Parts: sequence; C-alpha cells; structure tokens
Amino acid sequence: MTRSIPFAASVAAAVAFCAVAFAQAPPATGNAEVGSQKVQMCQGCHGIPGWRTAYPEVYRVPKIAGQHQAYIVKALQDYKSGARTHPSMRAVASSLSDDDMANVAAYYAQLGLRVAQ
Amino acid sequence: MSRFFLGTFAVAMMFTSCIGQAADLEAAKKKVSEICQACHGMDGNSQVPNYPKLAGQNQDYLAKALRDYKSGARKDPTMNGFAGTLTAQDIDNLAAYFSAQPAVLQSRM
Repeated sequence: MTRSIPFAASVAAAVAFCAVAFAQAPPATGNAEVGSQKVQMCQGCHGIPGWRTAYPEVYRVPKIAGQHQAYIVKALQDYKSGARTHPSMRAVASSLSDDDMANVAAYYAQLGLRVAQ
Repeated sequence: MSRFFLGTFAVAMMFTSCIGQAADLEAAKKKVSEICQACHGMDGNSQVPNYPKLAGQNQDYLAKALRDYKSGARKDPTMNGFAGTLTAQDIDNLAAYFSAQPAVLQSRM
C-alpha cells in the first residue's frame, strides 16, 4: 500500500503530462497544394497589388505572400475569435476550419518564397 | 525672374508644411532598436514564425495596425503593451521605416 501511493502519483503525473502535451500539440502542418484550392475568396483583395479596403477604413490590404505560415494562421484565428474585427476578414475566417487555415497559410507562405526566387 | 522662383518656392514650402510633419526615419530606427527588433528584426524581416514580417509591408496598413493595437481594437497582449507607449508621430515614423525596408513580401498571386 505504501508503494501504491507513489505509483498512483506517477500515473497521475503521466496523465497530466500527456494532457498538457496534447493540449499544446503543434497546429496542423498545412498543405499548400490543398490550400491553393481555397484561396478564391482571398484573391479578390490580396491578389491585386495596391488594393484598398473600402470599409470601415480605407487603407491598402496587407501583402501576405511570403508571410510566416504561423502568423497567417494566428491572424485568421484572431479574426474568427473576434480579437481582430475587420468585417470581411471576420466573415472569411469564420468559414474556415483549422485545417483550412493551415492549408491556406502554407500556400501563401511558400508563394512568397517561390516568387522571390 | 528669380523673384518668381522664390515666390513659387515659398508657396510650395507653405503647402508642404500644411501636409504635416514628414516621417522621421532616424527616430524610427531608434525606436525599432529599443522595442521592435527583438521580435520583428531590425529590418522587419522577422525570423520568428509567430511574428509577422513587416519589411516592405504597406505603410498605411502598418500604421492602422499600430493604431488598432494602441486603441485596443486589435487585441494582442504584447502589441497592445508596446503600441500603447507610441505617439501618433512614432506610429507614422515606424510605418514609414518598416515599409521602406527591403522585403520578401509580395502581393502577386
């Protein structure tokens, strides 16, 4: 009995460790090929050099080709959660699953590299 | 004749001063070395995947992002903290500085 307590404690620790490890699992890798099928809704603004947003403020939309994949995913998640508020981007991001975001981000990240070569 | 040119020059200078203070890239560089470069790099080509590359990004977008971080319209604990310390002039300086850096960003498809 005296030995079962440390055993139980170590099992609990192992379970806790796994829970933390799974909770912090890295996001999906993302497939640029699959992502390229999903960017029709992005191209209207991000595919046109110098395109300006019309609402709610007028400024040139950010260049995203060659941007870090992880940052593009974060931006999309922030739009989906409401941490970022641009109306059209909120609508677009809300329609994307986590996998969609990873794929689209992978597509734009490698696009810049390819163009720069 | 030279009076005509002087007059033209004076009027041009008046218009320029009306447009507002031009961005101060040296002041921006100082701010970047103090604050921004730790994550975004001195030239804005961030090496850290979580932090966006800023080099060559559109100037008006960069300024809007900083204003939104400052006001809280855009939420990120780190950037809300840093942008909160910036003046409107700092924001204009930094947006001009990063947009002028050589970039790997492209807007072509």
